[in-house]
Amino acid sequence: MDDVKVGVFLSDCGKQLSEILDFNALTDYVKSVSGVAMIGRSSEFWRGEGLQFIVDAIKGGKINRVVVAESLPKLSEVNIVQAVEKAGLNPYLVEVIDLKDHCAWPHRGTPSEATEKAKAMLLAAIERAKLLEPIEKLEFPALKSVLVIGGGIAGMQTAIDLADLGFEVHLVEKAPFLGGLAARAGRFFPTDDCAICIQSPASDVKTITHTSKKCVYRSGFSAIPNLNILANSKVVGVEGVPGNYKVTIEKKPRYVNELKCVRCDLCTTVCPVEVPDEYNAKLKTRKAIYMNIPNVHPPVYIIDESVCKFHDCAKCVEVCPTAAIELDQKSERSTMNVGGIIVATGFREFDSSIIKEYHYGDYPDVVTNLELARMIDGFGPTGGVIVRPSDRKPAKKVVFVQCVGSRDRRYNPYCSSICCMISLKHAALIKSAYPGTDVTICYIDIRTPGREHEDYYERAREMGIKFVKGRPTEILRDPETNRLIVDVEDALAKKFLEIDADLVVLAPAMVPAEGTKELAEILGIELDKDGFFKEYNAKLRPTETKLRGIYLCGGATFPKDAPTASLHAHSVAIKAAKFLITGKIIKDQRTAVVHEDYCGDCEFCPVTCPYGAISLEPTSEDHLVARISDLLCEGCGICVGTCPLNAIELRHSRPNQMLAQMKALMSVNGTSKPLVLVICCSECGHTAVDSSGMAMMQYPANVRVMKVPCTGILQVHQFLEAFKAGAQGVMVVGCKSDGCHYEVGSQKAEKKVELARILLKEYGIDPERLKMFNMVFIEGNKFAEAAQTMTERLEKLGSLQLMGGS
Amino acid sequence: MTSYALFLGCTIPARQSNYELSSRKALAKLGIELVDLANMTCCAPPPVQSIDLETSLAVAAYNICLAEEADLNLITLCSGCFESLSIANATLKADEQLKAKINRILSEAGKEFLGSKEVKHLLQVLVDDVGLERLKQRVSKPLSNLKVAAFYGCHVLRPSELLKFDDPERPSILENLIETLGAKSVEYRNKLKCCGGLLRGFSDDLALDLAREKLANTTKAGADCIATLCPFCFVALDLGQLQIKSKLNETFDMPVFHYSELLSLALGIDPKELALEAHKVKTDKIISKIS
Amino acid sequence: MEHVIEEKATSLTFSDVVKGRLGGKTMTLCYQCGTCASSCPVAKITPRFNPREIIKLSLLGEKDEVISGDAIWLCCSCYNCQERCPQKVEIADVIYALRNIALKEGYIPNIYSEFASALLNDGRIVKVSRFVENKRPTIGLPPLQPTGVDALRKILSATGFDKLQQKKEGVS
Repeated sequence: MDDVKVGVFLSDCGKQLSEILDFNALTDYVKSVSGVAMIGRSSEFWRGEGLQFIVDAIKGGKINRVVVAESLPKLSEVNIVQAVEKAGLNPYLVEVIDLKDHCAWPHRGTPSEATEKAKAMLLAAIERAKLLEPIEKLEFPALKSVLVIGGGIAGMQTAIDLADLGFEVHLVEKAPFLGGLAARAGRFFPTDDCAICIQSPASDVKTITHTSKKCVYRSGFSAIPNLNILANSKVVGVEGVPGNYKVTIEKKPRYVNELKCVRCDLCTTVCPVEVPDEYNAKLKTRKAIYMNIPNVHPPVYIIDESVCKFHDCAKCVEVCPTAAIELDQKSERSTMNVGGIIVATGFREFDSSIIKEYHYGDYPDVVTNLELARMIDGFGPTGGVIVRPSDRKPAKKVVFVQCVGSRDRRYNPYCSSICCMISLKHAALIKSAYPGTDVTICYIDIRTPGREHEDYYERAREMGIKFVKGRPTEILRDPETNRLIVDVEDALAKKFLEIDADLVVLAPAMVPAEGTKELAEILGIELDKDGFFKEYNAKLRPTETKLRGIYLCGGATFPKDAPTASLHAHSVAIKAAKFLITGKIIKDQRTAVVHEDYCGDCEFCPVTCPYGAISLEPTSEDHLVARISDLLCEGCGICVGTCPLNAIELRHSRPNQMLAQMKALMSVNGTSKPLVLVICCSECGHTAVDSSGMAMMQYPANVRVMKVPCTGILQVHQFLEAFKAGAQGVMVVGCKSDGCHYEVGSQKAEKKVELARILLKEYGIDPERLKMFNMVFIEGNKFAEAAQTMTERLEKLGSLQLMGGS
Repeated sequence: MTSYALFLGCTIPARQSNYELSSRKALAKLGIELVDLANMTCCAPPPVQSIDLETSLAVAAYNICLAEEADLNLITLCSGCFESLSIANATLKADEQLKAKINRILSEAGKEFLGSKEVKHLLQVLVDDVGLERLKQRVSKPLSNLKVAAFYGCHVLRPSELLKFDDPERPSILENLIETLGAKSVEYRNKLKCCGGLLRGFSDDLALDLAREKLANTTKAGADCIATLCPFCFVALDLGQLQIKSKLNETFDMPVFHYSELLSLALGIDPKELALEAHKVKTDKIISKIS
Repeated sequence: MEHVIEEKATSLTFSDVVKGRLGGKTMTLCYQCGTCASSCPVAKITPRFNPREIIKLSLLGEKDEVISGDAIWLCCSCYNCQERCPQKVEIADVIYALRNIALKEGYIPNIYSEFASALLNDGRIVKVSRFVENKRPTIGLPPLQPTGVDALRKILSATGFDKLQQKKEGVS
């Protein structure tokens, strides 16, 4: 490499800074630093003439490292780096610091001290710049194909979006037919229209208008050329990396050839096996060969292998006019390569029979909302009549019980969020179809947030639906009349009620779909404490997981109503498309790198890496070394902090770069106070320092800030190095323990600090000289306070004398 | 031979020799040895818990210590004792901090709670150590034609998380034991609700109201008698009938038995040896029905 | 810094006091669903007792009403409420905690003072009469073992139980 030639550019932000900092002193100082080839001074360097000046210097070969002191570096850095790259210099050879928010403003009361600190900051930036190395941008292939797991309302919509965008989409559904919970729900709030309509795909040339919505079965959905629907199938294996996963799908036998079946219905007429129809709440029976409802997709029969007599009967085979029935079908495994995976597995009703005092599964007239939905559906088993399942007589008195197994710390502590609305919808549908029905809803709290949702509550009251504020203790059955009695206290009326009922409808908690845990294991993604798939960030990245390329959609993350599931579905399509649409993934190499010669056999880093980016691979000498995937590595450095042999480094935050910075920051004091080194993460920690400066909160200039990608990178010996470099106190500032941008970095740092404090004590150094803080941007006041307090504490403790140290 | 330290408690020796007698006789016949330890005290049941929970834990733990020293598990006949001792045992086994605190108190009396023993109710011993099959074989005078209303009371079942006696919503131990004797167990409403026993002495009217409901429901269900497993429930339902008669002028004439008494009868023990005269509601018609 | 000093000066709320006692720690989980009330056999037959209301009043800080009234003494300790509470509030234990507080402040129903003195004197809360004890051998029961009343007294003194059972002047 050429000799290092650093250009240092000092912006005084339109003289704002030069009123406090002595810029002449700063320029003189910088001139004296070795390796500095050029100094520029202007009112701004991040745009216009200032930036052009830097560009020209690079193009002219005068400099090959850039240090800029500029305000709002988090904004200005983007511009500067882009310009530098265009000018032909590797953009990672730039160091931007903030003399305003980190120096001039918080120390405006002590300008000369601030100037001394600015010198230290400039020196640190220059020393780091000198040690920076070019970082390459890597390109990885991205397949323009996506796997969507789950064919409910969310999965179908996201599949259409992606197919319309030109992706090859594989939609895998575990059940024999698409539709999920939505198909059984009949109607949706707040529109009260069919649950089973979707937006038409772009490929449906006849119906494509922006307003059109269509029943799934006539929407042209199944005819989208680049959409491959695999019902009765599940994902059994996933390997590979973002952009190129190899997925193994197991397709269970349907025993009916999808290409031959013409839905003539002859098979069901001859089938002798009749079983209760679970799909229809067992309110009717079905044959061993069946379809859920006439308008399902795929529009092909299936044989229920748990009850069919196969070759001992084979009556269906005899009558089938197209020879579509194939009793010898076997499970088939197939593999496919996809660039991304979208999990849309949804949720299901909690098994209410666990709450024994409600006697679900024991008393036939206790049903769930989903079962009731089948009765309300005109195509359902009762033709829309609400009956008592025990004797099929119309139910005249209906009682709803809310929060069955939700908001219940014994089972599911969370509010399932949609059950109040489902019950209100159902109660109103019953009341409007059969006004004479006596309908009561027993609730703990009625929750109707959402547009038009409160209208449902209001309408229900207008219709004469009764509301009882109380959760029933028990559902009893009179042994003589077989009628149900709901035992409940109305807390508002302070009255105990024994409500007589023909039908009791439970509103069960909504819990993660079956198989959620297994799928999470296959995909290597996390579940939240309630067992739903955990998104990367609920606020900002609600459809992403911590693994790039794997996305979450709809009720898989939490129970959702149809509008929200829809929103989620369309949103995830964009996220997945954004990631894959160019056919390549570009990622810079600010990643970790392993010294293979002294990495050996321990298994700490693969376990610690939050992104699964590290694998252990055998080398020729027959021992294991860590291999880091540049595609998966997020550059946090948690592995660096973990490695007991110091065998891992981050290319952009090497130990020598950090040490040089540390030494520089501690080399100039210029204040009468003990030097404090603040090591903060580049995320919340650094922004907390920013915000204290922006708000002009004051703290003394002996406090010096060094930025690392994540506090998880820190090692115990680095704290000792800081003291050796002249720090009298060290503050580590990271994100909140549960808000670390790299999941566990803050927690790791806390442990490291704890350990270091023990060591310090052993060495006779007061452990209070080292402290960990967790802060976010809006806690600038906390930072200023902490810096002040640390300084005062150190003043009390007196000067730290290290053996042989300075 | 399986041995247990017998925890008698207060009410049984003071007022229900019939419960103690039938239990001792039946268990002896079934090969369960009962060891009477010195220096046991009250178990610290709800009345003591009401005064001070910490004291009640310490007192219960003290009694468990005695069994630990004798290297025996505990058997109780009274549900109240079962509950107090089991709650203390389970709570202290699970909570090291609380255990240390209680042990500081116990050290005043020279004891240390280790958490090495189990507390069992008579019914659990019958099911776990004797077993329903063996019990059935030992029945010499089956109680055929007898319709028995099983009454659990509260303190064996709840709080189930700590007691782990049976399914608190659908228990079956007592019904199974009743049927093992050849009798029929009958269902009735609010079977698992309280007898009111613990309100006696503070609010007799409410206590009797609760007992009355049980008597009315068992009568309605056609039961010949009630089987209990707790001295408090026994008093509430047996003596309670005399009080209901005098205060509310309502007669039930529903004999109440401890399960151990029915068991003794089925094992062929002479009714005369069971001190049945302690019952306030006469038991003659049942005795004649089964002999 | 002023606000810190202020915070320290503020006394604990009644609900904090209950929470801090053995048995009381789950009270604040209550969201007033009323499962306890409809589970309660006593509440069903008298308006004088309702576990939901007792917890609500305690959460609102109505200490005097809670500890001086007779409601807390009407719980029959059947644990039905606790068994079914969806928030796992240990309701029966909360009521014990409330009774413990009431007692500390001198509200002790007569029968409980009787239990307490019996325990201190005999080691049992129900005394075994000489008559009953003498009758034992005649019906075939072994003699009663002595109670560990001395050890018990040491325990009761260590927990301060021996001083609890005195009624405050003027408390009915």
